[in-house]
Amino acid sequence: MNCRECTEHLYEYLDRELTPQVEQEIRQHLADCPPCGEHFDFERLFLDFLRARCRAQGAPSELKLRILRELFDE
Amino acid sequence: MPSTPPPAPTPTPTPAADAEKRASFEREALVHLDSLYRVALRLTGNPAEADDLVQETMLKAYRAWHQYEKGTNAKGWLLTILRHAFINEYRRRTRHPETVDLDAIEPFSVFEELQDDDPQGTFFDRIVDDEVLRAIDELPEQFRETVVLSDVEGLSYEEIARVLEVPVGTVKSRLFRARRMLQGKLYDYAVGMGYIKGNAT
Repeated sequence: MNCRECTEHLYEYLDRELTPQVEQEIRQHLADCPPCGEHFDFERLFLDFLRARCRAQGAPSELKLRILRELFDE
Repeated sequence: MPSTPPPAPTPTPTPAADAEKRASFEREALVHLDSLYRVALRLTGNPAEADDLVQETMLKAYRAWHQYEKGTNAKGWLLTILRHAFINEYRRRTRHPETVDLDAIEPFSVFEELQDDDPQGTFFDRIVDDEVLRAIDELPEQFRETVVLSDVEGLSYEEIARVLEVPVGTVKSRLFRARRMLQGKLYDYAVGMGYIKGNAT
């Protein structure tokens, strides 16, 4: 696998959407190619950062009460 | 609480069937309330609209609960209902679908821009939640919903394709462009705040 092929699978790899065989080929390329390794590390950091920043928010407790009342008490 | 019994909502359900329906709905559907709310908030861009959209989704889901195959993907099923409700009833009043050609947007590589400045991306640590949410809200709707389902709610490509009713290949290309656009927006913000130097444009 070359750098271009590896980078084409960047997000599929980070999202765990590849077959074990392709995943293994990429892991091998990343181990052998520091520039691709750094690029993938950066993108992984970005996705972790996104997830961490966006998941804090949940439904307001009044909304939950409103829904329970509407579904079950009327 | 009034002492009169509640009126029967559906044709002659037995109390035992009602209790079972309620229990399974709470167990499989209501546990996804936070996810539905986060997605609704990003779609509508407005907390009051998000409340209404989620309430309507739960009501529709409860009425259609007999159609849901228990133990399958309740989150995906609920998100599909939510998205249809949004498209049919809310989008007209809140945001408008974009008319831009999304394929014409050339994704920009922040990683390459950062090579001389912050190749490890440490500037991300200085960007707060609200700024990230604002950047997501500025994405075109098709990108926004894809990124929210993937990066915020953790759905697989296949699940996202089912909710959005598009091919998996479309999910991949939208996700790629959406993430790059988002990086570009956050990079511009970080340059504007002086967290990184940035290259002269």
